[in-house]
Amino acid sequence: MRNLWATIFATWALFAVLAVLAWTRPLPAAQPANVPGAVVVQSKNGSSHLVVVQSGTGAAHATTRTSPTPAG
Amino acid sequence: MIAAATTAVPVTWLLARSAGLVAFALLTLALTLGLALSTRLLGNKRGKMLLGWHQTLMWTGLAMVVLHGTALALDPIMHFGFVGVLVPGMAPWRPLPVAAGIVTGWIMLALAASFHVRRRIGQRRWRLIHYASFAAFAVGLYHALNVGTDLVATRGLVFAGIVSAPVVWLVVARILLPRPGARKALAVATPPAPATTEQHPSEERKTLVPA
Repeated sequence: MRNLWATIFATWALFAVLAVLAWTRPLPAAQPANVPGAVVVQSKNGSSHLVVVQSGTGAAHATTRTSPTPAG
Repeated sequence: MIAAATTAVPVTWLLARSAGLVAFALLTLALTLGLALSTRLLGNKRGKMLLGWHQTLMWTGLAMVVLHGTALALDPIMHFGFVGVLVPGMAPWRPLPVAAGIVTGWIMLALAASFHVRRRIGQRRWRLIHYASFAAFAVGLYHALNVGTDLVATRGLVFAGIVSAPVVWLVVARILLPRPGARKALAVATPPAPATTEQHPSEERKTLVPA
């Protein structure tokens, strides 16, 4: 009977601690929201341009297509 | 696939941590109860029942130690393996504090098993083996504070204080208080004290005044 009570108590304590640890577990950092933004691009001649980046509604992954090789 | 791996609950890791904490709590409780029994602070009447609980807590704590080790051995990130959790110094991560935990587990197993061979090894040897429980507690606390990810900084100090206070207090009580056998011997050796050392003034007057 004593062993049974000890087992019940230990199991209850184990699950209680497990639940607390799982509940307080830091979640992996969320991905930044895909919102439109603006970047300042400086051109060759020195002038700056504000470029608005559209929110990503299309493919979120990087393209695998290679850039065309420059002619000449 | 990557997303699934990062968001999945690390069951073995959580199980290892919770089993380690519960094991430490149970083994500290068993040690505290054992010390209270040896000092007879809880009285003689319930000694047998408390001794039973002392043993049961020891075995339950050891079961949690086994669960702690098994979960770590099977953890896909830690890569301990069964050799790493059974043999001191073989762990791939922080081998010294991990070895302290392994040594504590083996000492606790020897202590729990010693109850079953008590008659065979004799009371004196059994008592000597039992002194190892103090070392096991210290080494286990070192393990918990150095590799226990839940017992860092202030939380670790608070935990160490809470678990150590009753143990230290009972050890001091055990050293300072006379042993139960010595207490009996002292009572037998001391001649019975006179019934009253000081006479009540009225009694004194009675003896002085002749009848």
